[in-house]
Amino acid sequence: MRPDAGTPMIELDNVSKSFGDAVAVDGISLNVPAGSLCVLVGTSGCGKSTTLRMINRLIEHTGGEIRIDGHQIRRFNEVTLRRRIGYAIQNTGLFPHWTVARNIGVVPRLLKWDKARTRERVESLMALLGLDVEAFAGKYPHQLSGGQAQRVGVARALAADPDILLMDEPFGALDPITRSSLQAELLRIQSRIRKTIVFVTHDMDEALRLADQIVVMQAGRIIQQGTPSEILAHPSDDFVETLVGGRDRGLKRASLTPVGEMMESLPDDGRVPAVHVLQTDSMRLAVSLMLWHGVSQLAVVDDTGETVGMLPLRRLVDDFGE
Amino acid sequence: MRGLRRYAPPLIWLLVLVLTAVYLSRLEPLFAWLEPDRQTVVYPRQSFVALLLQHAAIVAVAAALAIALGVGAAIGVTRRAGEEFLPLVSQLASIGQTFPPVAVLALSVPALGYGAEAVVVALVLYGLLPIVRNTLAGLQAVDRGVLESARGIGLSPWQTLLWVELPIAAPAIMGGIRTSVTINIATAAIGSTIGANTLGNPIISGIVNGNMAFTLQGAVLIGLMAVTVDSAFSRIA
Ligand SMILES: Nc1ncnc2c1ncn2[C@@H]1O[C@H](COP(=O)(O)OP(=O)(O)OP(=O)(O)O)[C@@H](O)[C@H]1O
Ligand SMILES: [Mg+2]
Repeated sequence: MRPDAGTPMIELDNVSKSFGDAVAVDGISLNVPAGSLCVLVGTSGCGKSTTLRMINRLIEHTGGEIRIDGHQIRRFNEVTLRRRIGYAIQNTGLFPHWTVARNIGVVPRLLKWDKARTRERVESLMALLGLDVEAFAGKYPHQLSGGQAQRVGVARALAADPDILLMDEPFGALDPITRSSLQAELLRIQSRIRKTIVFVTHDMDEALRLADQIVVMQAGRIIQQGTPSEILAHPSDDFVETLVGGRDRGLKRASLTPVGEMMESLPDDGRVPAVHVLQTDSMRLAVSLMLWHGVSQLAVVDDTGETVGMLPLRRLVDDFGE
Repeated sequence: MRGLRRYAPPLIWLLVLVLTAVYLSRLEPLFAWLEPDRQTVVYPRQSFVALLLQHAAIVAVAAALAIALGVGAAIGVTRRAGEEFLPLVSQLASIGQTFPPVAVLALSVPALGYGAEAVVVALVLYGLLPIVRNTLAGLQAVDRGVLESARGIGLSPWQTLLWVELPIAAPAIMGGIRTSVTINIATAAIGSTIGANTLGNPIISGIVNGNMAFTLQGAVLIGLMAVTVDSAFSRIA
């Protein structure tokens, strides 16, 4: 059912949700292209979770239209719909009385896959998420660390190979180092499996790092959407500017820009700077290396170690800023 | 082997209970020593085995009904459709417990007349309370994130109940059933006063006739039965 790249997998068309008199989501429109990762970001209570949960009908929208793959979600049976959409939440929601393997295999079981196929799937997902099958398959959720439990939660969401994955602050409860490694893992997995992901967070750094498309929400409305670099470069108002870090923006932007985009060719005299940086490293890291080593230029190498260019400090001043 | 070990204590208590019921009358000399002035020192009307079986049958029927009704009611009021009854039911369950069992019995007689039915009804009503209360507590304690993810990944309401809520609440529910059955083993004895045959017969007769030996015989068997059942629950819960 995967449509061509670029066609929206998820479309929200002027969607609203009121709880009684209170309007939680107020006429938002949003397209998420197939295979892209869309991050909803905003302060607490702005309607991110409500928006996410309307997509799998945990909450019914009260206005507008939501379409998945061109079909209105109201047309689907809600239970059938949810089995086709992965769902992972902050405190994992793992079933405490089931083992890791059984937790991951629950949706395949709902879909009546045979035992062997489910088992195979569970084991390959555990491998994908870096969970040793021998060590973890038989463990119960209370025997896992927060990071391990979250991996299991993501594996469970992916189990039936859904096209869509909804994630509500999945890494919100983790320490910064674990969170960062799970973010890297999500990016790695996403580059392989190319799901359509809607990801909720209130952490702008997380949004900038993960998103193809960032949707900034405030009081139930979308106040800006765009790619991370668009949002960084042109925050639409003071609120978004504060969210993206105000005067810290330079470093945030540097952390999104790969060195390869800014490097220059080697000088003719063939002299190579002593300190080197990878082509795929971020400009932020490059700046950090210059500060640390007290140098004004770096050699840029590719992943085989071959020098492919150089990066002088001047580039930062001349071309990086606005 | 491990299974046998695990269930050994309740099985031993059961053996003691059955042997006591069968051979209690052989202890006549002992009871004669206790009540030296009496001609009859062993309760004569029915055999202890027959009383034990009738007592157990009344408790078992009442427990089965109380479990079905109590667990059912607690499930019902924790569903969306029944949620308006939740405050009422949970209040009844906690207030009802302060009601003395004799009063419940006294109330069921006018409704059903004398006999085993009235006793069963009283025991069901009385036994419902701990079951409802514990089942409610167990179901309400299920983590909200667990319920949300159960729905979110596509469990139907039935599957959520059977795969998630009831298994997680099971220890609490078993605790309620255990309390209920243990209380009702004792309460059923009072049933003798309204015409049911239970192990309360020798107790009541002993009190009425001032014969300690009869009372002791009934009390020992009820005590053993309660211990046996409680020991069995401690192994399965
Ligand atoms: N079931 C509900 N009944 C009534 N109001 C609700 C309900 N769920 C959410 N709301 C309200 O809707 C608004 C948006 O809530 P939502 O959970 O979507 O916020 P959020 O952006 O996810 O916040 P957070 O970052 O704290 O999770 C809030 O004002 C909240 O109080
Ligand atoms: Mg939220």
